[in-house]
Amino acid sequence: MSQPQIRIENVDKHYGAFHALKSVDLTIPKGGFVALVGPSGCGKSTLLRTIAGLEKISAGNMWIEDRLVNDLAPRHRDLAMVFQSYALYPHMNVRDNLTYALRLKGVSKAERAKRAQEVAETIGLENLLDRFPRALSGGQRQRVAMGRAIIRSPKAFLFDEPLSNLDAALRVRMRKEIRALHDRIGATSVYVTHDQIEAMTMADHVVVLRAGVIEQQGAPLELYERPANRFVAGFIGSPAMNFAPGVVAEDGSSVAALGATIATDVTMQPGQAVTVGLRPEHVSVVAPDAPGAVPTRIAAVEATGSSSYLFTENDPELVLVTNGTSALKAGENVGLAIPPDQVHLFDPDTQAALRQTG
Amino acid sequence: MGPLRSMRDGIGFDTLLIGFALLYLLAFAGLPLLYNVIISFQQVDVFSLGTLLHPGAGWDNYLSIFRDPLAQMVLWNTIIFTVGSVAFQFTIGFAFALFFHQKFPGATWFRGLFLAAWVMPGLVVGVLWNWLLSGDFGVINHVLLSMGLISEPIFWRSDIDVSLYSVILANIWYGMPFNMILLSVGLAAIPDDLYEAAALDGATAWQKFWTITLPMMRSTIGAVLALGVIFTLQQFDLFAAITSGGPAGSSTVAQYWSWQLSFREFDFGRGAVISVMMILVVLAVSLVYVRSTRAETRM
Repeated sequence: MSQPQIRIENVDKHYGAFHALKSVDLTIPKGGFVALVGPSGCGKSTLLRTIAGLEKISAGNMWIEDRLVNDLAPRHRDLAMVFQSYALYPHMNVRDNLTYALRLKGVSKAERAKRAQEVAETIGLENLLDRFPRALSGGQRQRVAMGRAIIRSPKAFLFDEPLSNLDAALRVRMRKEIRALHDRIGATSVYVTHDQIEAMTMADHVVVLRAGVIEQQGAPLELYERPANRFVAGFIGSPAMNFAPGVVAEDGSSVAALGATIATDVTMQPGQAVTVGLRPEHVSVVAPDAPGAVPTRIAAVEATGSSSYLFTENDPELVLVTNGTSALKAGENVGLAIPPDQVHLFDPDTQAALRQTG
Repeated sequence: MGPLRSMRDGIGFDTLLIGFALLYLLAFAGLPLLYNVIISFQQVDVFSLGTLLHPGAGWDNYLSIFRDPLAQMVLWNTIIFTVGSVAFQFTIGFAFALFFHQKFPGATWFRGLFLAAWVMPGLVVGVLWNWLLSGDFGVINHVLLSMGLISEPIFWRSDIDVSLYSVILANIWYGMPFNMILLSVGLAAIPDDLYEAAALDGATAWQKFWTITLPMMRSTIGAVLALGVIFTLQQFDLFAAITSGGPAGSSTVAQYWSWQLSFREFDFGRGAVISVMMILVVLAVSLVYVRSTRAETRM
């Protein structure tokens, strides 16, 4: 896992005046599953396409298995890509789609048919080999696109939002299948998605991008527990983290925010302005007069069955999540218990985390 | 379910619109076509032209055309003209379509300029090429002479060995832009990600062309070739303007011969024979065209 398969150093990409990637550094270990995640336009797809060689980098260096690939054409990089649109060849049946790369390499027809059969069995397409893409469902097309990548045993798999055209249920299933496939083959994977749940559940290493800059990268739970800045804190986790302005109190460790005093377990400069970040799942509802609780009132309750979303009458409004069905009603007075070690603090100017919990 | 009701729910109106179109086709295409077939079996001359019914001629007109000493040459000329024109219009048009498909500044604008040739009336194009091909002071002879490719001027329009080719040359120039535009549309319809997928699969530019572009263009190519044959068989103006089918019939093709028989020799029966046979050819080619465009919508 430690040997780097893809190494990206100080890479920039310009489209005319638009600066799509800014000094990106990223090392992808052999056999690793790396997710590139961020809002649309953050440069995650551009980064993937520069790895593929479909876009040329404007500055910096990129290596695949110790080979400098800055100017190497895509066809020499030995990478396989699964496109969002799947990009299946519409004029070829599933077998020919799967074996197209082998055919270009001059592999014999018999050998190609054998390999197609093997891969089709791996991904459950053995009955569809003679079908054309137009006669396949979305999920089946997705599998063909995967199979086309697997059959080549490439140096790395590149996924460009491969599940975004599938319905929710199928997406969850394919998520697991792709990860299981990755573990079985042990290939290096780079996975682009705008869905942080996908990134968190599938990858070993998550890279959060915004406006062409890597905001933070690390293990999924590291990003959740120790976000480096307010953007990552708000992006990772669902529902998103609550933010409220506050000022550090005289004791240097509690913060005046939400019309109350919130205890933390760090020491800061008294009088310093901060942004308090609270995850909806870390705040619990207690009696209004409980010691240390932040008194407030419930504004609305949304029940989903498995959990309930509570909205409070604070300024700004807070969202809380509780398990199961909540007995609380709108208008009830309650107290909010906030564990000091679960309070995130950010510098309101630089947005950087003031301390990292966990 | 009165007529008013069906008028209001749209079905009656649809029928009405289709009815008009069918009526138009029947009156202005169907009847003349039918009449043409009928007179190919009749004796029609300048005296009986004004009457609706003419004496029957059985297969006489057909036999006479087949036995005509010109027939074999006209047939060959027509084949050479059609195959030569379509082959070069298509390949040059395809090459230009591929060229302008590369995204460089001004590509679409420049491609649009090529249509200037296609929108010109055929007679104007013919006159233009008369100048270019002129034996004494034509630009083409001048270029060939100064490059040392020929030692004396070629009399393009009056040399029986080259007269047909001079019309083919003009027709390639005239019809190429139309091929280019249709093929450009076909190229634009191929999604970019197919080429990207192929690039990652290891395809060279050449392999992408043979395994992605050409098969994806199959229906477009079928339609373009079919239309090319149909338009080439309709080409009349260039012959009229450049060679008038001469000298000595050396550049006469079927459609021009048919016109000569009908409107120069007033032998309408024999002129009709040629057009009837051309209808059969065009009908066959049209089937190819219809099949191609049908495959296109199914893709």
